[in-house]
Amino acid sequence: MNLKVQIKGDTLNVGGIKELSAANANDFRDQVRAAMIEPLRNIEIDFSQALFLDSCGLGALISLHKTVCSRKGIVRLLNPAVPVQQILELTRMHRIFEIVKD
Amino acid sequence: MSESPGQSSRCSGLRLSLACDLAEVRPATLAVRGFLTEHKVSEQDVAACELAMAEACNNAISYAAESRRRDPIKVEVMCHPAVVELRIFDHTSGFCWPDELALPDPENESGRGLFLIQALTGNAEYFRGESGNILVMRRPRTPQQAHFQAAPAPNPEELSRRLFENEQVITDLAEELSSCYESLSAIFRYGAEQGKPPELEDFSRRLLGDLLRITAADWFVLRLADPQESRLTVFTASEPGLLLDALEIGVAFRTFRSVEVEATLTRRDVWFDQPEALLSTDPLGALKPGSIGLVHPFYVGDSLVGTLAVGKSRLRTPFTAAKINVVHAFADFLAIQIVNARLQEERVNTLLVARDLEIAQNIQRSLLLGTLPQLPQLELAGYCESARQVGGDFYDVIKLSDSTLLLVIADVMGKGIPAAMFAVILRSLLRALPELTSRPSELLARTNQLLFDELSKVDMFITAQLVFVDARSRRLVAASAGHCPMLIATPGQVRTLSPEGMPLGILPDTPFTDETAALDPRCRVLLYTDGLTEARSPSGELFGAERLAAWLKQTAATSCTAAELKDQLAEELAKFQANMALNDDQTFLIMA
Repeated sequence: MNLKVQIKGDTLNVGGIKELSAANANDFRDQVRAAMIEPLRNIEIDFSQALFLDSCGLGALISLHKTVCSRKGIVRLLNPAVPVQQILELTRMHRIFEIVKD
Repeated sequence: MSESPGQSSRCSGLRLSLACDLAEVRPATLAVRGFLTEHKVSEQDVAACELAMAEACNNAISYAAESRRRDPIKVEVMCHPAVVELRIFDHTSGFCWPDELALPDPENESGRGLFLIQALTGNAEYFRGESGNILVMRRPRTPQQAHFQAAPAPNPEELSRRLFENEQVITDLAEELSSCYESLSAIFRYGAEQGKPPELEDFSRRLLGDLLRITAADWFVLRLADPQESRLTVFTASEPGLLLDALEIGVAFRTFRSVEVEATLTRRDVWFDQPEALLSTDPLGALKPGSIGLVHPFYVGDSLVGTLAVGKSRLRTPFTAAKINVVHAFADFLAIQIVNARLQEERVNTLLVARDLEIAQNIQRSLLLGTLPQLPQLELAGYCESARQVGGDFYDVIKLSDSTLLLVIADVMGKGIPAAMFAVILRSLLRALPELTSRPSELLARTNQLLFDELSKVDMFITAQLVFVDARSRRLVAASAGHCPMLIATPGQVRTLSPEGMPLGILPDTPFTDETAALDPRCRVLLYTDGLTEARSPSGELFGAERLAAWLKQTAATSCTAAELKDQLAEELAKFQANMALNDDQTFLIMA
């Protein structure tokens, strides 16, 4: 999985996600966690290119949410496509992640 | 993965076979997507089937029996005119399909697969068998946009459904657009008010009133935290006059559940959309039973500013992500306004205190005489330096006749405005009792009687020394109310004069005594406050009474005037303290 990560202030920006499924969720989680060096506290994930998200992908996002919570930070999901946002809302994940649309 | 399409008169089918490997799932779901799209299944149904199938396949692979992991997972997709049917054949030990499927705790990283299958298909059955199990999922099809040329004209029912679907989409889009527009315009409108005098409560109520309208909520409760972040107090609410006790954050969490306190402790939104989430013992639950909504804790930096609870009737649609963003945006905007208003208030208070001190300082300066009355052959000079802008030390010289006057030096316990005020009162009283000025002990006794009630009410007292000087008879009469001894120096010797007496304000009726001393032609008399003897050098050494007495003694051998001696002593003190800030006022009167 080729993620694009970039640090801006205390936030890790993550891009390059086409899908987040059982096949790549653990890899995604581990790569992002490894990039979350101190003192980063927030994660912004560009979801604009993500076409598919399943429950394993949600699990990886929740795991990252727990990581940033311990640093008093948040996970922001940027510009998810309508079907992905519907899944986030159906599973009530919009309550723990900040969903931002440009 | 292998696939084989099938066709019958009433339905089209697709069979897939994939290895027991999670990496096989996504290509398989994409194959199903292609198949369904080809058969004009709506995008909404395709996405739902794609995800439901992925969840089912993930489970089939993750829980496959070890002995059967070489066997492929089979998938069958049938596209009927009114329904899409998906069948997943697994080799797991099987499980009982739950009667009710609920979402797990939001913090759980797993346990959402079956919920998604049920929610996306609406009809799922699980059949267990000896050699394998089958999950059958049926998703009713929503009408697909017809191709103008090939498709037959839709019937009225389909048209009606399509119209409803489109209306729903337009309504959702319009709602989101409206939310964004109204949020922005509200924030700009309120932002423009920042130049006006802040009425924070009114401002907050109006802002949050707009929030209710934009998010279609029924009520809000805004609590603010104290600076210690230990207490949440209701600042404003949608219903004026709402009676809700303050919440002690630590106490409330130990004794009863409060969603507002929980939000501050977890630093996250707390939702109450289940009946058990908002208990009747929760202050918010008692106030708004049957509500759904959330509590959002808001911060500026790491500092908790407060909590915003927003709710609506359980019968209404839950808040969407767009609405939550609006709640967050409003709360964060409000947090900045609240912190700004508090800073502004602190700045105004600081300015007011500074102004009060300036006024008090002006009053105190006006008490110190610009030019001291003088007597024949006896010159006077005075010095007063306050440790703060306004101190409690003062001196006064009251001329009684051409050859007599009364010297006054006093130290009001404490500093600042209260001490300065008592200094003013004492000075006025002493000047208002001219019949007693030649008898200092009686003047002190009378002053004590008059001041005792006021001083004892505020637990303050005053030390003072009064000296009646008669230049013609070359003698003085001194009385003291617990004040520092007076120093009288003549060439070769220095003596102290310390008449007995309690400070003013300690006892209502206390005696004072007069002591008399002769004034030699070359004597120097020094009245001072303890700020002189207690002055410290940078190394912490005290200036002390002995150093002061020694200084005065050596001056008796000189022919310096009182004004010169004043300057010399002030210089001595400054040199000793080496520009250190004063701990106490320093005041003295010198007669030479």
